[in-house]
Amino acid sequence: MTTSPQENTSVIAAQALTKIYQRGREEVRALDAVSFTVARGEFTAITGPSGAGKSTLLNLLGCMDAPTSGTLRLDDREVHGLDERARTELRRSTVGFVFQHFGLLPTLTVEENVVLPALFARRSSARRAEMLLEKVGLLHRRTHRPHELSGGEMQRVAIARALINEPRLLLADEPTGNLDSATGYSIITLFQQLNAEGLTVLVVTHNAVMTAAARRQLALRDGRLADGK
Amino acid sequence: MNWFTLSLAGWRQRPLRTGVTAAGVGLAVAAWFSLLSFQAGYRDGMKNELDRLGAHILVVPKGCPYDAASIALHGASWPCYLPAAYLDEVRAAPGVTTAAPAFMTALHEGTSTNTVYVGVDENFLRLRPAWQIRGRFPQATNELLLGAEAARRRHWQVGQTVPLPGLTNATGLVSGILGPTHGAEDDFIYLRLADAQHLFAHPRQLTHILVRLADPNALDRAVTHLRGCYAGMDMNIVPLAHLFHTIQSLVNSTRLLLGCVAAVALLVAAAGVGNTILMAVAERTREIGVMRALGASRADIFRLFWWETMQVCLAGGTGGLAFAFLASRLLENWLRARLPFAPVDALIRWEWWAAAAGLAGAALVGSIAGFLPAWRAARLSPVLAMRSTGGDA
Ligand SMILES: Nc1ncnc2c1ncn2[C@@H]1O[C@H](COP(=O)(O)OP(=O)(O)OP(=O)(O)O)[C@@H](O)[C@H]1O
Ligand SMILES: [Mg+2]
Repeated sequence: MTTSPQENTSVIAAQALTKIYQRGREEVRALDAVSFTVARGEFTAITGPSGAGKSTLLNLLGCMDAPTSGTLRLDDREVHGLDERARTELRRSTVGFVFQHFGLLPTLTVEENVVLPALFARRSSARRAEMLLEKVGLLHRRTHRPHELSGGEMQRVAIARALINEPRLLLADEPTGNLDSATGYSIITLFQQLNAEGLTVLVVTHNAVMTAAARRQLALRDGRLADGK
Repeated sequence: MNWFTLSLAGWRQRPLRTGVTAAGVGLAVAAWFSLLSFQAGYRDGMKNELDRLGAHILVVPKGCPYDAASIALHGASWPCYLPAAYLDEVRAAPGVTTAAPAFMTALHEGTSTNTVYVGVDENFLRLRPAWQIRGRFPQATNELLLGAEAARRRHWQVGQTVPLPGLTNATGLVSGILGPTHGAEDDFIYLRLADAQHLFAHPRQLTHILVRLADPNALDRAVTHLRGCYAGMDMNIVPLAHLFHTIQSLVNSTRLLLGCVAAVALLVAAAGVGNTILMAVAERTREIGVMRALGASRADIFRLFWWETMQVCLAGGTGGLAFAFLASRLLENWLRARLPFAPVDALIRWEWWAAAAGLAGAALVGSIAGFLPAWRAARLSPVLAMRSTGGDA
């Protein structure tokens, strides 16, 4: 493995990352030899048409799945070739996830939802949960349940939750996809704020404002990176 | 928040379905508990009662119903009688130390209460070494010995002349009152055998003879002799130890059947629980994917659903025990009406070991029923789970 000085500070280093799904007899090349790096503190938007492989890429970056071939380093640790259990460990400590559909557990309160990843990571979290809820402006809603919140509020809770274990990398899959443009804008601002505080953010998005807000854009098409590095 | 509250949150999502499932487990556990505690209660109760009779052999008239022993214990009118002359033949049997003749009848007093009169002689006292008599055993005509409860209920005292309940124009003198024995005889009124025979117009007749042997192990010899003697033609010789075993084995075979039913109920409950949790896993597929994305391991997911199943089962089991406890009276009355020999002691008692066994059964159901759904949930690929449309997470 070559370790250039630049790679040492990169949060993501993907090399010829390929994911092939088997659909019956047919092979679907969802990702085809994708190579790129993301440096610490970058705010990157991934764009591309439906079926381009954006979610597939995000799943690989989030250690949710293993690549068919290629190499991936996260925070200077090799991910490709790790087994299930090790990927879970790495995901816990390194990655925060935000989803289009928020993914809040309906029977848990706002605060319980936020501390959930800390429970999985066996960390104590009460103080940090309070701090994060404060940061996303929902401390006064801590005992509410998700169905009592608006879409924008739910996504803020989800963002607070993604940050509870102090991840190196925040991954978001169309975080504004279910929100109107005004609410979406407030989420974009929040991402910018988090990025300004030093968090590395990688967002899959169709939202032009979000794409513009990100300092770097990667376009995926048919599983390949169209440009950029 | 901890794992416990997280798994609780799982079934808060569908309280009704969970409730119904838990109720199934509860019913099975209630049946299981009742069966276990009934078996213990019945055996102990029956043994106590037969011990209380103080006799090894009960001699009753031929043609008496099979539950003669129960009549002798609980007090009732006898449909048939023995000539008092047979007593000598009974006494002559080998090994007999005491043969106490008795004349028993029950009179209706008002509409519901029965007054049980038992005519006995001094021989009877030898079967009741534990009796504590305030006053004295009846020695003269018309003297009465009252059971503790019989005296208490009517506020009668020693030395008082009282009207005989259920009879008109008859009085007796209370010569003694018994200390409580906690058996049916607390309600009995004892009088001299001759008085009873006279009062109820059956001179020189008995309803039963209680026989005590020097050596209880010589039971078979005494019984064979009694059945073979001349009077044996007209007597029914009931060896009480054998009676105990006969009834016990009768109950045991019923218990086996009921045990199978309870086991099936437990299995059905297990299937119900398993099915409910499987459905929950299917409905919450997406939620499982989200939890995996948030750092839950396969073991975490397994534990979550397994715990959830255990909680449903243990909650159901606890409810079932409470239900069994509350319903034990009803069940007891129902059983009492159907048993060949129901002791006065409580049949279904709260037995801690039976309750523990019930809960252990529920936990067993939970761990077995929870395994498949939990395993399936844990094996879900997080990526596929996230793509699923199941659930609203
Ligand atoms: N589990 C799978 N099995 C088979 N094919 C899959 C699987 N997951 C994704 N694909 C295919 O891989 C390709 C990329 O899918 P992906 O979900 O990454 O697209 P996307 O860019 O996220 O699209 P969208 O914008 O609609 O979310 C698609 O053709 C999809 O059908
Ligand atoms: Mg997608």
